Amino acid sequence: METKTLTPPKSGSGSGRKSKAEPQSTTKPSDLLTPEDCLEMLKQLYLARYFDVRLIKEKRRGRLTGTLYSSHNQEAILVGSLYGLNGTDWISPIHRDMPAFFIKDLRAGWDNPDRLGMSIGEVCAQVWCRSGSPGRARDNWSHIGSKSKRIVHSTSMLAGTIPVAAGVVLADRLNGGDAVVLTYNGEGSTAQGVFHEAINFAAVHKLPVITIVENNMWAYGTPVELECPTEDVATRAAGYGIPGLIADGQDVFDVYDKVMVAVEHARAGKGPSIVECKTFRAYGHGDHDDDRAARYRTKEDVESGRSRDPIAICKIHLVNKGYLTKAEAKKYMAENKHATQTSDEDFPPDVVSYMSKGIEFALASPPPPAEEGAMWVFREEN
Amino acid sequence: MAATLDPVTTKTNYLNALKSAIDEEMGRNPDMICLGEDIGILGGAFGVTEGLQAKYGTHRVMDMPISEAAIVGVSCGAALGGKTVMAEMQFIDFISCGFDQIVNMLATYHYRTAGEVAMNVVIRGPAGAYGGGALYHSQMNEAWFCQSPGLRVVVPSTPYDAKGLMKAALRDPNPVIFYEIKQLYRLSDIAEELPEEDYIVPLGQAAIRRAGTDLTLISYGQNVYHCLDAAKKLEDEGMQVEVIDLRSLVPLDEATILESIKKTNRALVVNEAPRTCGFAGELVARINELAFEHLDAPPLRLTRMDTPVPWAKALENFVLPQVDDIVSTARRLIRY
Repeated sequence: METKTLTPPKSGSGSGRKSKAEPQSTTKPSDLLTPEDCLEMLKQLYLARYFDVRLIKEKRRGRLTGTLYSSHNQEAILVGSLYGLNGTDWISPIHRDMPAFFIKDLRAGWDNPDRLGMSIGEVCAQVWCRSGSPGRARDNWSHIGSKSKRIVHSTSMLAGTIPVAAGVVLADRLNGGDAVVLTYNGEGSTAQGVFHEAINFAAVHKLPVITIVENNMWAYGTPVELECPTEDVATRAAGYGIPGLIADGQDVFDVYDKVMVAVEHARAGKGPSIVECKTFRAYGHGDHDDDRAARYRTKEDVESGRSRDPIAICKIHLVNKGYLTKAEAKKYMAENKHATQTSDEDFPPDVVSYMSKGIEFALASPPPPAEEGAMWVFREEN
Repeated sequence: MAATLDPVTTKTNYLNALKSAIDEEMGRNPDMICLGEDIGILGGAFGVTEGLQAKYGTHRVMDMPISEAAIVGVSCGAALGGKTVMAEMQFIDFISCGFDQIVNMLATYHYRTAGEVAMNVVIRGPAGAYGGGALYHSQMNEAWFCQSPGLRVVVPSTPYDAKGLMKAALRDPNPVIFYEIKQLYRLSDIAEELPEEDYIVPLGQAAIRRAGTDLTLISYGQNVYHCLDAAKKLEDEGMQVEVIDLRSLVPLDEATILESIKKTNRALVVNEAPRTCGFAGELVARINELAFEHLDAPPLRLTRMDTPVPWAKALENFVLPQVDDIVSTARRLIRY
């Protein structure tokens, strides 16, 4: 079998593609972001990275059970796609999107108790399998959600949340709302029948369903060319008559631009889009797979795949825009490092303390009492 | 109501009972929607939803693409968004195409969310053999869903129950898999007068269709009528047989089963689904757990053979339990 070289796309690889939803003017949505917005997005990238790094270290110290599905090197997709949403919009994250739960509506204030995203403490309580988790530790890892915070609860069946996401915005539309939903999916899950079935339905009814495809080149141990017959997953959109956009998943502002085009399209009642974000999975499928992943992927491919760190790319943009000095950009160097090579000094102190408080919340939360195992199978009253 | 009445009598058949239940619930609950293949413009393959789209609009009665996974998944999402959903499977056989969405998404939603999210979803569709429907228009696959914790499973056998159970299901905050017996849809023999006023049949309550002292026949769906026919024949031989119609499998009315067996000391389960790991097997196990000391004979089951449902009449009859099979097995148990 011939395998093609697995390199990440060069910056702006999607920019030359024509899409129905491409704005007519040359002003990109990200051009309208304030300096404060741009610096906030960098800080959110640090937070997503620190969450990941810290959990990897906690696991290695034996303080965690369960599998970690690292979002390392893919943080720009989460931050860039979530930044422009309203709090009342819905999201539907999967296993590699753990930071999405607390990054949703983070713009409304990191310590704002009313924001429509989970607290980092709730997410840590879930990771630590404690009763403080929104799901009270009933299903593992990313299988949490919140009706009130507008986060769809996923299962292990990939692409299975897309019809649920379509249904929740259908209900919102019937109630007179204007919410959109972002569903997150790996490129591997686009082979599932339900991916097609759900997007087909959403396209027929022009529902505001935005399907983010995080194309990190690997579905567990299978390379993308054995999962998908086309060069780009986004071209599948043509079959539904909807826009298929391609973003540089390493560039938080390019992700923001493409997702905001899709969001505006959806909010205007024009229906779904697929936004493919090209990226590269930094580690194994889960941490249990790290050793084997080092065998089924060559060292050169991994190095090349991780050569464009989203934090570094964001900093280059901010320096070019004049929002960050070169000296400030070098102050916290979390980029281009393996989790174990980083220290807390590589991150802004408020990011470190935010996560640390989340862990404190988790550790203070007791495990769920045993009898809860048999509870909530049915709801007994209306 | 006028539209649901039989033109000659004031009796309502099974299909119209279902139709009026859905219509009335749509009328009283503005947050209820209906999803399914061909349910709007056409009014459903069997006509259960006829007239509903004209009455409630295309936004509340939606014709869905041929995708059971999308129908069920969208139902879950709409319920997450606060809606009550009636989702039609054109034939209950097609439910397998939406299986993952039912057993992993819908059934577990309340459990996974520690009670945060209720799933007000009823998945209903025509079911059952004895009609020459062949492999994919004859199934009773209720056992799949009885074994998925979080789902209620209902099988009405009369127009009164069809309406009352449907209304109860649509008001229940849990997902319900609702088996409609298509052979009963237009059967005039069982059409009956229904109350003018609103009523429900609570889930989890069995009905005793015939009282007896010598043996308890336990069944649901169209096998109830086979049991009643068998009971008549046995009566001619001097045996009094009790017939229980379970109506609801999950939750199961164990008390009615136990009380009956205390009286008759013998039990036979009759079920058109295949034998191995079918719900009949579950019932026999429950009877052993609940009533062993009251039994004077082994509790038995009569089921379909472990085969698909074949098309040709002779083949179908051969693999399905028949009235004469019930009579002979009942006789053997009573004389045990």
